[in-house]
Amino acid sequence: MIVDMSNEDMSKQRTDVPYGTLDLLVLKTLETMGEMNGYRIARRIEQVSGDALKLSQGAIYPALIRLEQEGWIRAEWGISETNRKVKFYSLTKAGTKQLEAEVQKWEQANALLARFLEAAP
Amino acid sequence: MRWRGRIERVLALVRGRRLDRELEAEVEAHLEMAETDARKAGLSAEEAWRAARRRFGGVEQMKEEHRDRRSVRWIETGVRDFRIAVRTLGRAPGFVVVAVLTLAVGIGATAAVFSLIQGVLLTPPPYKDPEQLVLIPSARTDGQQQESPRPWPAAQWLEWQREAKSVQSIAAYRWMFNFVILPDGVESFEAMAVTPEYFSVVGLEPVLGRKFVASDTAPSAAPVLMIGYELWQRSFGGNPDILGQTVRVGRQDAPFEIVGVMPPGVRFLPAPNAAQEPNYDVNALVDIWAPFAPGSDPKDLKRPRWNVIGRLAPGATPERAQAELALITARQAHADRDFAGFTPDVQLLTSEFNRDGERILLPLFGAAALVLVITCGNVAALLLLRGLGRQREYAVRAALGAGRAGLFRQASTESLLLALAGSAFGIGLALGAVRAFKLIGGQAIPRLDAVTTGWPILLFGLALALIAATLAGLIPAWRASRLDPNEVLKGAGPKSTAGRGERHLLRTVTMAQTALTLVLLVGAGLLIRTMINISKAPSGYKTSHILAMTVTSVEGDWSDFHHRALDRVSTLPGVRHAVYAWGVPLTGNNWPARVIIEGQPVPVRESEATEVPLRSITPGYFELLGMAVTEGRDFRSNDDDDAPQVAIVNKAFADRYFPDTTTLGKKVWLFGPDRAPSKIIGVVANSRTDDLTRQASPEIYMSFWQTRAYSKHLLVRTEAEPLAMASAVHAALREVNPYAAVEHIKTFDQIRNDSLAGRSFAMQLLVGFAAVGCLLTLVGIYGVLSLSVASRRHEIAIRTAVGAKRRDIRNLILFDGFRLIAGGVAAGLAGALVLSRVLRSFLYEVEPNDPATLFAVAMLFIGVALLACWPPTRRATRVDPMKTLRCE
Repeated sequence: MIVDMSNEDMSKQRTDVPYGTLDLLVLKTLETMGEMNGYRIARRIEQVSGDALKLSQGAIYPALIRLEQEGWIRAEWGISETNRKVKFYSLTKAGTKQLEAEVQKWEQANALLARFLEAAP
Repeated sequence: MRWRGRIERVLALVRGRRLDRELEAEVEAHLEMAETDARKAGLSAEEAWRAARRRFGGVEQMKEEHRDRRSVRWIETGVRDFRIAVRTLGRAPGFVVVAVLTLAVGIGATAAVFSLIQGVLLTPPPYKDPEQLVLIPSARTDGQQQESPRPWPAAQWLEWQREAKSVQSIAAYRWMFNFVILPDGVESFEAMAVTPEYFSVVGLEPVLGRKFVASDTAPSAAPVLMIGYELWQRSFGGNPDILGQTVRVGRQDAPFEIVGVMPPGVRFLPAPNAAQEPNYDVNALVDIWAPFAPGSDPKDLKRPRWNVIGRLAPGATPERAQAELALITARQAHADRDFAGFTPDVQLLTSEFNRDGERILLPLFGAAALVLVITCGNVAALLLLRGLGRQREYAVRAALGAGRAGLFRQASTESLLLALAGSAFGIGLALGAVRAFKLIGGQAIPRLDAVTTGWPILLFGLALALIAATLAGLIPAWRASRLDPNEVLKGAGPKSTAGRGERHLLRTVTMAQTALTLVLLVGAGLLIRTMINISKAPSGYKTSHILAMTVTSVEGDWSDFHHRALDRVSTLPGVRHAVYAWGVPLTGNNWPARVIIEGQPVPVRESEATEVPLRSITPGYFELLGMAVTEGRDFRSNDDDDAPQVAIVNKAFADRYFPDTTTLGKKVWLFGPDRAPSKIIGVVANSRTDDLTRQASPEIYMSFWQTRAYSKHLLVRTEAEPLAMASAVHAALREVNPYAAVEHIKTFDQIRNDSLAGRSFAMQLLVGFAAVGCLLTLVGIYGVLSLSVASRRHEIAIRTAVGAKRRDIRNLILFDGFRLIAGGVAAGLAGALVLSRVLRSFLYEVEPNDPATLFAVAMLFIGVALLACWPPTRRATRVDPMKTLRCE
């Protein structure tokens, strides 16, 4: 029996992080913290957001590969604190630019929303 | 998406395995670090292990997501879906065969007609930038139709050449006909006589040798000509040393030297004034070009004998050229009244070139497309039915986590696969059909010889497969993806039934098919009625047992040859009667003339002249064709050069010009007021000489022995099958003169059929398409009703149990079928009212919205369709209530 695993169903089980937001969180984390491995990035996002985010740590990896492919972050092999080979991620120049653009977009959207919500009745 | 991302993702397809391994390593490291952290926070080893995994989430799901994100997912899933589709379809060979062959019919029909369109309409003529070329025929300033469009005097177009700004260059040409004299006989050829500018205007360069130059047209110049690529290959074997060789041409003393070979595929430019010549074929490839130029003699300059082609200046439109040339021409007419009455009528070469082809091919393409849509309807219904049978499979998949998108994709992949297979067979069918078209359609479609089958038909077939897959597969795939697994699994109903939703969908599909089939049937019906009307129309002559051929003596004494040849043929055993005629009915041949008729005002200007087509015949012509001379007498063999000029007119002529007086004895001037008039000695009954669909118009017949017609037909009435006599007649003519050219041997029946070729080709194709559409739709109706009966067994059983009679059940189901059919028929009739207008130019004595045809077609279809409803209806009346209800 063939079981299809397309995005649509999994989105329900996975996480309530709005699509695309995770990318932004990862980029921002790398900007603030510098080079980090996947586990540390996930922990950092959890810590900063507290309990507000329902995020499986695993969800970080699909986001990381995508950001790498876009050329916004770079991955290098290093040794983890548990003495294992692991990838360390850092922001590229293009990534910094992308982050700036994303943040700006986000702020504009927020400002617009805020104006709307205040204007209500 | 950024380029880099795209490339990376395609690369990821190739490096999939390595990326998977790397991810695995990362995940392990991640979990290890998480465990270590948890242990530090005070959890036990086991608790830490579990916490790390819980917080990580589903590893397999993440991996899937990872793969999804990093690669071009659709290629991977596409390949997989394809494999599954092949396997699933392989389990239902019967379904596959039916669906593929059905699609093959639709795709084949459409691709076949398309390849005609591609070859005839979409392949531009080999000129440079053909869309800049304009033909400049004449039109009468009073707006009246010309019997034979008048060409232009050189004085007029030479001035256009000098003054017009919107036309950058102008060339003039004429159509010519002659014979080449070869050692083994004589072969006729059509030629273009062109001014040396022709080559630069149309943008053709010889593949060998040189073009004509101005000095070639000087009266003292040695005669030269250029030959076409096809003639070069055919008669000279592509010999590269052809230049400088000479050919002998009929009735010309000096041999012609070949100075150049033209590129392949060059056809004639229309020379409307020559259209009535027996050998005129504007769609033929040009074999010979000869140089020509207007002389300097003022009288010669004013003779209207040139056709004109021009190349628009960059940026100029045909409208601007029309306005400018009309202005110059009006000024010319003002200055010299001989030029008055005519104005240029600028037309784009490409639209003129495609007019006839478009007229027949576009409606046929539309009809083929309808067939394709109908076949898609059938396959859609098949897929829907198959989908019903597989509801549980889909439900289980959905329950196991397959998404809607996945089910949709799977179902559409299957229909795409079917369509691709259908297209492969369809292209095979199309290749066969194109060959058949070329055999039967040669007279119906211009330039059919240029149609080749190659890449375009293949690509088009593939494109059609995509369209067919969408048309046939979209709704079934959508249904599959909308399935609610809960309902299906709970219901667990038998597989051969359908819910209301499906039944409704199927009915809609079948109704649409019925409507399209009706449109095809109405088109076919209209053309059939046209052909019947034409066969009933009184032509005025008989066509059976007559052999026709063109006979020309290229050298020697004209009169001597024709007398001896006619005597020789007339006395052949099996020949009843033989005559010469220039202007045989339905060949389009005649001799357009501006005549002066006794009692009618003599025209002051050329454009006001009375135009009447002349024909030239030997005694007995009317008898041979079964036409009655109603007044006066037929020609006699002594109506020759030594006797006074005589003429016979038809009844239409007599009625128009001598309505109140006797026609006999009146005079007509056939060749201008300076020449002797002809005396009318007879009136012959009317006949549809030009076209079977057109009423008789005035005609004048001259005595053959007084006119010396150069090209003409020999008509032979035979006792038995005419073609059986062909070789005997041919041999007899050759005995009289071995250099006689004997060509175009046909029976008169064939000539008649050729004159109807466009209509009969359109009719044959439409009848074929309509038959296919009809068959498919009937199958569809049968299928829908069968399914409906199967799904309503329960209901029928209850009805029977509570006392419904067999008759009631029968009526119930038949009425169900009738509603379906009638709905489709009504929609189809509405569509036909709109669409059959495209056939207008083919119809004769029947309107596109002819109520009788519409009614007859609708009734016929409803009748046949109700027959298709009969088997399911019978099945419904046989439902055994006890058995059926107990089964539940």
